[in-house]
Amino acid sequence: MGLALGCPTHQVAEGTGASAPSSGPLVLAERTESFVLQFLTRKIPSVLFVLVVSSIVAFILPRLAPGDPAVVLAGPDPSPATVEAIRQQLGLNLPLWQQYLDWMGGLLKGDLGQSYVLHRPVGELIAGRLESTLELAALAALIMIAVGLGLGMLGGSPRSRWARSIIDVFNTTFLAVPPFLTGLLLILLLGIVIPLLPVSGEMGFFEDPGISIQFLILPATALALPQAAVVARLLQTSMLQIRSEDFVDLATAKGVSPFRITHKHVLRNSFGNAVVVIGLRIGELLAGAIVVESIFARNGLGSLAVSSVQSRDYLVIQVLIMSAVFIAVVIQLLSEIVLAALDPRIRLGA
Amino acid sequence: MAREPRRFNLTASRYLQAFRQPKGIFAATVIVVLTTAAFLAPAVFPGGYDQQGRDALLPMSPEHLFGTDELGRDILVRSLFGLRTDLTLVYIAAPITMAVGTLLGLIGFVSKTTGTLIQRILDVIVGFPGLVLGICVVLVLGTGFPALLISIVVIGLPTFGRLARAALLSQQQREYVTAARTLGISRSTIVVRHLLPNAVDAIIVQGAVFIVHAVFLEASLSIVGLGIQPPQPSLGALLNTGMRYITQSPTYILGPIIILLLLAFAFSLLTDALNETVNRK
Repeated sequence: MGLALGCPTHQVAEGTGASAPSSGPLVLAERTESFVLQFLTRKIPSVLFVLVVSSIVAFILPRLAPGDPAVVLAGPDPSPATVEAIRQQLGLNLPLWQQYLDWMGGLLKGDLGQSYVLHRPVGELIAGRLESTLELAALAALIMIAVGLGLGMLGGSPRSRWARSIIDVFNTTFLAVPPFLTGLLLILLLGIVIPLLPVSGEMGFFEDPGISIQFLILPATALALPQAAVVARLLQTSMLQIRSEDFVDLATAKGVSPFRITHKHVLRNSFGNAVVVIGLRIGELLAGAIVVESIFARNGLGSLAVSSVQSRDYLVIQVLIMSAVFIAVVIQLLSEIVLAALDPRIRLGA
Repeated sequence: MAREPRRFNLTASRYLQAFRQPKGIFAATVIVVLTTAAFLAPAVFPGGYDQQGRDALLPMSPEHLFGTDELGRDILVRSLFGLRTDLTLVYIAAPITMAVGTLLGLIGFVSKTTGTLIQRILDVIVGFPGLVLGICVVLVLGTGFPALLISIVVIGLPTFGRLARAALLSQQQREYVTAARTLGISRSTIVVRHLLPNAVDAIIVQGAVFIVHAVFLEASLSIVGLGIQPPQPSLGALLNTGMRYITQSPTYILGPIIILLLLAFAFSLLTDALNETVNRK
């Protein structure tokens, strides 16, 4: 997808060469704090807008679908009176806007509603699946960040042509191959041809961390590698671009060591872009979990989403859609804050 | 970026230059071969994709290149029919998405309010990760071909809308646009004659990228069981069934994977070739 990164390139920040600004971390911390407040007050209206719109979308969509949950719930051959009673009980006879407000009110109070199909509170259903998905997403995010930043830095540093072309091959491959294909290929390679790791199922981390990790490695890797390639490619491009700036030439002319140039000047100025793209990618990572969980037969939120779409379980699916958007928005906001903390021009100019 | 306004050249000969370089020739060959194979499949295999054999879950062999499935059906035949479903889907969806997306992006020149409103709507769409959006569409329309078609279009719209809008924003302040306005040329004519040509390169390149995305989207949704439903074959639906037999017959999913990879590879090469052609000055 197109990366609409509205962030400027940061050349000026470290423009003065080797004498890195060290005017005390205290000042910086204070400024950052007040900045975060300012930043939030500026950002919150648009965040709220996206959240409200997506909550309406999440609420309306299931209701546009043909079929009446009350009829489904009433079982085979229901009398109209039973259907009406169930409708009353679920509040389905109320006007849509009132149902929406009830639902939102419940959400704010922490009551996610009751699943029509499974007759259990949605909160409970989600809590039961949360651990599996959290473990998967956390490990995948770690792998994505480590591999993405690692390869990006290698690719953006002056290296042998050999190393760079290997990184290019990795990036090009995984940019083109989505998580489900990576997953299938990993299953074939490490699960079947060389049976090293289990290909399906799971185990709670707190029951047995060792076995849990074994089950996690393949799906987390499958989920992470395509996103890592995006991060690596972006960091590499941004480092190479910054390397051609004048202040790098100045630093070289002053005799700053290549290692220090890469780390203190080039890397630091490229990091902002990497942070933003990592934030954007985490949303994709969560969406990718839907497919990866299905391939690796894990019982997480992704498989809950799929089964509740199949059984038309409105309340479950609308909460899941809502939380996916919520998490994506919050992470994006966090990454913008980190970005601003890294870049004095955004922080102070704001 | 600073390109002189150019007449809208619908002969497309510019883009055909992409097929003069080795990359483009190779990509075009693979795409043409796969497309022909897919759409001729019903003629070549009159038995259709449901012809059952005696031996189930055979590995790859000269007789059955991709092996056979759980009912003894040839997986190569099923993959070709599956590819036909996928290609039908993307060859319909991609042009629609490109055209509608471009229109939505350029409409801002005719009516500023509509343009801004559309951008906000596209922003909300972007807020939903691709698959979640697909699930939303399936939720309303149920599983199957139409839902997939609409998911692909909806997911693609923001990309093309933004590309077109970027071209609009970069061009609308330029002298030639002002000059055209002063001459009394209507806004919609300016959009078609001057702004569209500036957007069309990026849109065509992105179109090749998008086709791969669309095929992968079909596969993702079908693998989890929310896309094309059996017995109709699609590459994703084949992978879905194949996953159940992964331990008995690991080569089951290999065939559809090979076809998916070939398709993705060919279209990435095509993207590269188009990109180079477009940027050649």
